[in-house]
Amino acid sequence: MATLSTMLKKELLETWRTYRFLILAVVVLIFALMSPLIAKLTPDIMKMSFGKTLQLAIPKPTSIDSWTQFYKNMTQMGIFVVAILFGGTMSQELSRGTLVNLVTKGLPRWVVAVSKYISLVVQWSVALTASFLVTWGYTAYYFPDAKTPHIWQGFVPLLLFGLFFLAVILFGSTLASNSYGGLLFTILVVGALYLVNLFKAAQNYNPISLIGNNMALVQGSKTLGELGPGIAIAIGAGLVLLAGTVILLNRKKL
Amino acid sequence: MNTNWQLLADNLPIFIPLILLELILMVTALVHVLRHPHYRFGNRILWVLIVVFIQIIGPILYFVFGRGDDRRG
Repeated sequence: MATLSTMLKKELLETWRTYRFLILAVVVLIFALMSPLIAKLTPDIMKMSFGKTLQLAIPKPTSIDSWTQFYKNMTQMGIFVVAILFGGTMSQELSRGTLVNLVTKGLPRWVVAVSKYISLVVQWSVALTASFLVTWGYTAYYFPDAKTPHIWQGFVPLLLFGLFFLAVILFGSTLASNSYGGLLFTILVVGALYLVNLFKAAQNYNPISLIGNNMALVQGSKTLGELGPGIAIAIGAGLVLLAGTVILLNRKKL
Repeated sequence: MNTNWQLLADNLPIFIPLILLELILMVTALVHVLRHPHYRFGNRILWVLIVVFIQIIGPILYFVFGRGDDRRG
């Protein structure tokens, strides 16, 4: 256990020194700020571009628009940025041979995989929670209406999806010999999940449902209970992938 | 023009942190580009242009794909 916390410290220090955490945090905070801003400005932009030539009845923006923007940004650009930033987590160490010294001195390989995973999860949770709170604050300030009563219910699935998604990234990064291969693996997995999502029967069991129903959850037309199977499968698949990462790493030549 | 200023003033609580964050991202990347002469590909001028003129995406691209190894300066 002592080695795990030491490795974890090393991982967190590394992510700080390579600016990865800084970039992640700044980018998700920018998304968080842009969400209420775009929701608020959309009617003005429409007015400016169409002027008086087109008499459009543009509805006043509400908190729904703000949260829609947030979940759109996070589930598209947000997770893509995460995939790019962390796609090289394991493959970089493997290609540079920086693990050789540690492992030959007796560091168990599972510690490497688990510490990397924990560090990814910590970064994701901190950055996402911060951006969620920022959007929440601005949305409550600019759109004080009661149209989005279940704010936490939309956020929890996104956070949990991250646990699954990071396991996919780490597995892909261990499987591939370079960071592009890991990125490709991640994109393929997400693409496959979106394909599966076309079948209605599978929708509630699909981990991708965790990032597809956030607005329904926020507005209360869906409950977390309905997503229960999807959440269970996402967490289960995450653990399986983590175990798979350890097995892969055990067999890999460093 | 009047309405534009009004728009800006109304949304100042969002604009200020937004601009600040983009500046942090840009300046961090710019300083790194200027202090480290080795890149995985491209040259200094290319990366300075990318980092300064492509908002948000530019600095990400630099730190993920452009920065060279630190080990030998």
